[in-house]
Amino acid sequence: MTAAAMDINAAALRRDERREKLALFSLCAPASLLVLVIIVAPVGWLFWLSLFNDAGVMSLDNYTRMFESKSYTRIFITTFQVSFLTTALCVLLGYPLAYFLAQLPRRWAALGMLAVLLPFWTSLLVRTYAWLVVLQRKGLVNQWGMELGLWEAPLRLAHNLNGTLIGMAHIMLPFLVLPLYGAMKAIDFDYMKAAANLGANPVSAFRHVFLPLSLPGLFAGIIIVFVLCLGFFVTPAVLGGGKVIMVSMKIETLVDLFFNFGTASALGVVLLGLTLLVLFAAHKLLQLDRVLGGGHGGNP
Amino acid sequence: MRNNATVIHSTVAAAAFALTFAAGASAQSVTVASWGGSYQAAQSKALFMPVAAAMGITINEETYKGIGQVRTRVAANAVPWDIISTGSGGGARACVEEILIPLDYNLIDVSNFVADTHLPCCVGSDVFATVMAWNTDTYGDNGPQSWADFWDVQKFPGTRSIRGKMHGMLEPALMADGVAPRDVYRVLDSEAGIKRALDKIRELKPHVAVWWSSGAQHAQLMKDGEVDMTTGWNGRFDVAKADGAKVAYTYNQGLQDYDCFGIPKGAPNAGLAMQVIAEMSKAEFQVNLPKYITYGPTNAEVYQTGQVDESVARQLPSHPSNARKLLPVSQEWYAKWEKIGSEMYQDMITE
Amino acid sequence: MQRIDALPIHIRAVTKTYGAVYALDGVDLEVRSGEFLTLLGPSGSGKTTLLMVLAGFTRPDAGSLKFGDAEVIRMPPHRREVGMVFQNYALFPHLDVAANIGFPLKLRGIDKNDIHARVESALATVQLQGFGDRRIHQLSGGQKQRVALARAIIFEPRILLMDEPLSALDKKLREHMQIELRRLHEQLGMTTVYVTHDQREALTMSDRIAVINHGRLIQLDDPRAIYDHPADPFVANFIGESVLLPVEIIDGKPCYRGRPLQVAAGHARDDKTTPGALLMLRPERLVFMDDARADAAAYNRFDGVVGHAVYQGENFVTYITLDDGHEVAVRSVSRKQSLAAAPPPGSTVTLGLHRDETALIPGHTAAAGNNNNDAETNRGHKP
Repeated sequence: MTAAAMDINAAALRRDERREKLALFSLCAPASLLVLVIIVAPVGWLFWLSLFNDAGVMSLDNYTRMFESKSYTRIFITTFQVSFLTTALCVLLGYPLAYFLAQLPRRWAALGMLAVLLPFWTSLLVRTYAWLVVLQRKGLVNQWGMELGLWEAPLRLAHNLNGTLIGMAHIMLPFLVLPLYGAMKAIDFDYMKAAANLGANPVSAFRHVFLPLSLPGLFAGIIIVFVLCLGFFVTPAVLGGGKVIMVSMKIETLVDLFFNFGTASALGVVLLGLTLLVLFAAHKLLQLDRVLGGGHGGNP
Repeated sequence: MRNNATVIHSTVAAAAFALTFAAGASAQSVTVASWGGSYQAAQSKALFMPVAAAMGITINEETYKGIGQVRTRVAANAVPWDIISTGSGGGARACVEEILIPLDYNLIDVSNFVADTHLPCCVGSDVFATVMAWNTDTYGDNGPQSWADFWDVQKFPGTRSIRGKMHGMLEPALMADGVAPRDVYRVLDSEAGIKRALDKIRELKPHVAVWWSSGAQHAQLMKDGEVDMTTGWNGRFDVAKADGAKVAYTYNQGLQDYDCFGIPKGAPNAGLAMQVIAEMSKAEFQVNLPKYITYGPTNAEVYQTGQVDESVARQLPSHPSNARKLLPVSQEWYAKWEKIGSEMYQDMITE
Repeated sequence: MQRIDALPIHIRAVTKTYGAVYALDGVDLEVRSGEFLTLLGPSGSGKTTLLMVLAGFTRPDAGSLKFGDAEVIRMPPHRREVGMVFQNYALFPHLDVAANIGFPLKLRGIDKNDIHARVESALATVQLQGFGDRRIHQLSGGQKQRVALARAIIFEPRILLMDEPLSALDKKLREHMQIELRRLHEQLGMTTVYVTHDQREALTMSDRIAVINHGRLIQLDDPRAIYDHPADPFVANFIGESVLLPVEIIDGKPCYRGRPLQVAAGHARDDKTTPGALLMLRPERLVFMDDARADAAAYNRFDGVVGHAVYQGENFVTYITLDDGHEVAVRSVSRKQSLAAAPPPGSTVTLGLHRDETALIPGHTAAAGNNNNDAETNRGHKP
């Protein structure tokens, strides 16, 4: 073959490669378009709306008001408090649960997983109202507790922060358990054997080996739950007794009652900003890349 | 239920069609949007169907979610409804925003209406009251007889529920604080007055177990015995009571409020809609409403027809014996202070 | 690292069942202090189960297990103080090399500086100086192997267990590591129990080999004895290549097809109670008979027809069909003369087996021997 012919081949091969890359990229085009249309555009629109005050004049009034009014600050604090506590509750309940499921034989684990996921198939509203029936003053828990003489006066379990946390933890639990269970299932049991062989009793084997290896899954679950909680509406509205007011509920009032899209959008924008800030901080603090990177190459 | 409604609906339509045909006129129709549920079912049987038959027209019914939806449709210049049924507050706001058109009170006769039950753009269809209700298991028949009693947790120990929004809460607070009903809106006409009401609510706050957000919720709270005392809308308590709830209420110092009919800007058949509203406002049609729901007629003439059972009539909020006890809600005050008051109220809840 | 004071292991009647299946069926085994003993067997034989019993990961149903004088059968694994190298190394992916190796010392509450010094020393022992701060996923297979080894020996266990530690390595590296493991054992001297299914590895490395099958200890001997004098057809087939020919015992003398066999002194069968035995023919022990040999009389003879030949580099294998239908292989070194002298296919040849290398496997009837040709180890060499 002549040198010229070789050059032509090389050019054609490069072209083929470019075309293949382009074809591959086009696979994600529909998804990108969807994200653009249903996320980027509306968020941009929200941001645009938030820049207009009640009189329709462009200003930062919607934002300055938020920092001047104590009730807005408190609503944000409540939102983060509820999200944080719900996440903590989910970790406390979810970690042992995921650990238990990860230890079960495959068939039983599938059954257990089904039990965890079952609530997903029921309407959120139905589940929330079911909790109301269970937790309220004359609800099941109080009836049984008092009949058994465990407590005298009815416990305040619904229509407050307690009820909100119970209801939200129940709804959020699968979001924590699923990634955590996945991470735990991926931990080779030989690591635990190795730890024991090297002198670790079950507690220190868990602390030094299992726990650190399950952390990427745990962090993934925590972030999913926390971020979902930040925007939660139904459960705090029903189980919070009107005392637990989160940002989403305030947005609803603003839009529904006052048709105040400007302030509502500003709230949405600030919540989005704070959420991104939390994600960024988590990313930096936990060094997720490193933790996640460490998960690879465990097996030869 | 739905099937039934459809059957009745088509019968009415058929009758109306037959009538118009007989008259040789072209078929005329209007579309009404209301809240649905047992409330709209009552409206349909008492007002929409009889009026349609009498006028020889078709009245189509739809349900909608409230003024917000009307606002969107008006903005989009695509209004599908000729008449909407809404609360007085929403009606007042819609009027200010010019979403509803002014009504022709030469055509609609409100001369016999209960005081303060019509607005320039929205004419009262039924009267309800915001009242204090109590659990009869807790207090028997000796429940609170004034807002001062409602606030008095020494005399009436137990938990309370009040509304999570300012609407219908500041007036009771001021009355509990010793303001005479007729002075309430005058005192409230300043931030200081609103603050006085809020301070009174702050007193009660430790005993507030639930800040309710809907009529269904406060009815359910009483049914479940979740709280011992609540504010709320009288009709809901009657329904709950019929359902076995241990609940009683008094009209003493209650707030008189009403639902109303209005015509959205750009309604396709606004002229006919105006005539239909005029018909529905007549005593001969309003007289039917209490048969289906314990909301009172806005047209007081109904009580003189003698067609409403005295025992039923005495339960209705617009019956003269009850109306006396009630303070009519001032839409002017709400138009002026709603936004500021709501912010302050929310501030008070979250602190 | 210092030489370690080793401990003997006494295994008595250890039994482990899974349902109706015996994973270990009354195993008795003495592991001498400081020896390198290999548990050899096919997969599912119970060798790994036995190792797991030693490590404490598998709880046996019955039996006794002593490290030195101490009964340890009920002792939890973390208190046994035995080092172990896992088949997949089980290096903790979230820790770097130094932390992995220092892990057992950290658990024992040893001072940080001491740990550092000892980790460095252990790294030197496995020839990985300067690798302390590497992440596990940055290591090659051979390096992981060394780290796992360093971690297993750093706390100076008196017993070291290894579960097929070289199976994931390629052939060259595996052979290199075999020598290194052996060198390390010589240097440190702890009692080592090594599990493998690779007979060549077992022969190369072990002081003694325990052949395990169906949960039973079949034969315990040094590599040479295991190879030359397998206790039964299973061992003969599993270790090395062999063809087993049925042999009759007539008047206490072994005969093949009526002809008496010459047998090395001391290996003749005295047992007259069983009617037969098996003669083991290993490819490298067979020669093409050349009557010009000075010691030609010392060879047992087998006649057959040459089939095909396979050239394998360092040697070549000729397949011969004997008169009685058995196909045997003859392995010759690939040198010019021997290649030239190889008989052509189809020709008739006589094979010779020196009487000193004639091994009989006792106590088995002729029928038992014929069915062993499909054993795993034989199959691989046929084209």
